[in-house]
Amino acid sequence: MTADLIGQTLGHYKILAKLGEGGMGVVYRARDEVLHRDVALKLLAPGAIDKVGRDHLLREAQTASALSHPNICTIYQVGQSESDFYVVMELIEGKSLSDLITSTGLSMETVTRYGAQIADALSHAADRGIAHRDLKGSNVMVTADGRVKVLDFGLATRIEREEISELTLSYEALESKLVGTLPYMAPEILRGQKGDHLSDLWALGILLYEAAAGRLPFTGKTGFEVSSAVLREPPPPLPPAVPHGLAAVIQRCLMKERVERYQRASEVRAALEAVQGAVLQTRHPSEETRGPRTIVLRGMEHLAMKNRDVLLMVGTNKGAFLLRSSRDRHKWDVAGPYFHGQQVHAIAYDGRNGRHRLWVSTSSVLWGTFLRSSDDFGRIWTNPLEASIRFPADTGAALRNVWQISLGRADEPDTLFCGVEPAALFESRDAGESWTLARTLYDHPHRPRWLPSNAGLFLHTIIPDPSTKSRMYVAISAGGVYRTEDSGATWQARNTGVRVVFLPEKYPEFGQCVHKIVLHPSRPERMFLQNHWGVYRSDNRGDSWQDIARGLPSDFGFGMVMHPHDPDSVYIVPVESDEFRCTPDGRLRVYRTRNAGGSWEALERGLPQKGAYETILRDAFTSDTLDPAGIYFGTRSGKLFASRDEGKSWRKILEGLPQIMCVKVAIIEMDGLPSTKSPSKPRSAQPARSSALRKASPRGKRR
Amino acid sequence: MMLVSFAIPGPLREFSGNQTSVRIEVLSGANLLEGLQALFTAYPGLRDRILTESGQLRQHVNVFIGKEDIRYTGGLTTPLPANAEITIVPAISGG
Repeated sequence: MTADLIGQTLGHYKILAKLGEGGMGVVYRARDEVLHRDVALKLLAPGAIDKVGRDHLLREAQTASALSHPNICTIYQVGQSESDFYVVMELIEGKSLSDLITSTGLSMETVTRYGAQIADALSHAADRGIAHRDLKGSNVMVTADGRVKVLDFGLATRIEREEISELTLSYEALESKLVGTLPYMAPEILRGQKGDHLSDLWALGILLYEAAAGRLPFTGKTGFEVSSAVLREPPPPLPPAVPHGLAAVIQRCLMKERVERYQRASEVRAALEAVQGAVLQTRHPSEETRGPRTIVLRGMEHLAMKNRDVLLMVGTNKGAFLLRSSRDRHKWDVAGPYFHGQQVHAIAYDGRNGRHRLWVSTSSVLWGTFLRSSDDFGRIWTNPLEASIRFPADTGAALRNVWQISLGRADEPDTLFCGVEPAALFESRDAGESWTLARTLYDHPHRPRWLPSNAGLFLHTIIPDPSTKSRMYVAISAGGVYRTEDSGATWQARNTGVRVVFLPEKYPEFGQCVHKIVLHPSRPERMFLQNHWGVYRSDNRGDSWQDIARGLPSDFGFGMVMHPHDPDSVYIVPVESDEFRCTPDGRLRVYRTRNAGGSWEALERGLPQKGAYETILRDAFTSDTLDPAGIYFGTRSGKLFASRDEGKSWRKILEGLPQIMCVKVAIIEMDGLPSTKSPSKPRSAQPARSSALRKASPRGKRR
Repeated sequence: MMLVSFAIPGPLREFSGNQTSVRIEVLSGANLLEGLQALFTAYPGLRDRILTESGQLRQHVNVFIGKEDIRYTGGLTTPLPANAEITIVPAISGG
């Protein structure tokens, strides 16, 4: 009965797609033809409940539809149509808590934050005499912005005494909904009593335990074993990382005797909020301390991002600037400077896993380097109490700068990397909350002989191999290229064929001052390298390198950009020499190869060709992923150039910025944002001008 | 026990509850490092901005006890007199 419903209409709801299926029926995405909004429509399976049960459910659903709370999925309508009985509710885009909980659990901050929201929802409902009675991980959704929504309030069918006994005896044979429900059932329900707000608090305790520990407290091979554990056994100890305060809240929720539990959900919420405050103060290394949030005001108007916009992020030595444009990349709104006066060496945008998070490393000459993030395109930034990237005490090292923030592979959406000075790699597996030093690289026997470059000794490039999970490349100035084949257990220098001008030995195993390496995901075995003198290609994962600089005015340079779609196209900006790090002959020219280094062509249309002594730093050069690709670079003199036709022609989109340290770009894909209007009307929906928000008009005419 | 006061520079007041000066109780005879640790316990956001993770005073942060720059009085082990007025000031820097 399911597939053929797509496209049909039920009441005034047009069924669009199937979202999921459970014991009670099927959930569809549907279009409300009257109010013109998408909704979730749950159609009960015909035999799911009998007439009495249906009437009862109808009454309960009607009562539940009166609930209006930010953490409760709103029920819009309960309807009957011929033989069909359906519930129409708020459509929630997100993931269920059961999908989010991994085997290691969630961070303590997340557990308390989600737990407090669920408790708030239960409290709101309990105040109106409504119990949930089927609270479990699959009934709790988390939206992309971290808001919890509890589903199916009051919609649980009453499970009668007979069903319970059947359930405990033949667990495997039962419908999946009951199997999913049993581990959350309070002892009194297993004894045949009706679920109420106190059994909801038990279920909340189970959820908190599961989220903190990554596993359920009461398990078994059969339903009998599960219910026996629920009735008789204490919950197994929580992992040591769970703070005492949180463990105490969970324990009290999971008291077998109802009178010993919390008596109100609001008490649980208050207790969790108290724990939340304590968790934030904990100096546990895995619990990154968020600290106060800095709201950047200074009379600044921020970017109004729209879905599918292009976001250009510019780090300078006096702060960061953010620019947005529609996909035509014609006009840019500018906001900034953020982090007034601080050096911004690294920026990244993490759009994985429903996030839309900006990461910035800010470095104050005075007060040190901190990683900061914003989930709303720069309105609010975290300002951690403690530095999240820190060298272990036994190294005696202290962080000077973060030079690179890199995302892990798409299938590891919580993995981030940072390349820092002094040269080291840090890794986060929890979306940037906590960071660990890659110890084997830090302790590499070559380290004592790495030489600081002009800007210090630092790790600036990180490339996880797109084809092989255990392989990764890093580049260190001046240490060279290093590769791991075993997920970081060991690292090998990969510099054969790359020349060193500043050592007596011209082709050493390591010690090269590599400025940038790139590779294209479709040809992961092939890499390109811009050296401190020298441009190279490797066809064997860095095992050996060939000089490909023939035809360039100089083989000295810093940045290097891979074309997003063509694995044979690479861009560089040669500068004259080590001593005179400016574009040769006062001409700003980007060079491109379209045959993997066989030949090079100068791209200069729209770029100044007289008196332009410019330097483009290694991370101030990037490409977007659109077609045709956009190429962007910033100069040390504070000019920002862009090409929206793969380099054929260029425009100066901004000038007068402080020295540009890094330029990154992202295409924002975000369902919650409005779409940009037609590109033919770029002026529409643009915010008002202010001193900080400027319109950058193209000024691409040749001088 | 004795009281000492710390003058907090503008850029760090975000982490001192916006106070320009905070009074902290320390053990009699405590040195500057112990005084700072008491300060950091009360205002944890200050620590990593004044010291590096290896425990050194940041290069361009100067600390004075009264009018004395502690770089010339024994650094972080300089003893604190009762009612010491400790001033944390950013050095002149450019770039």
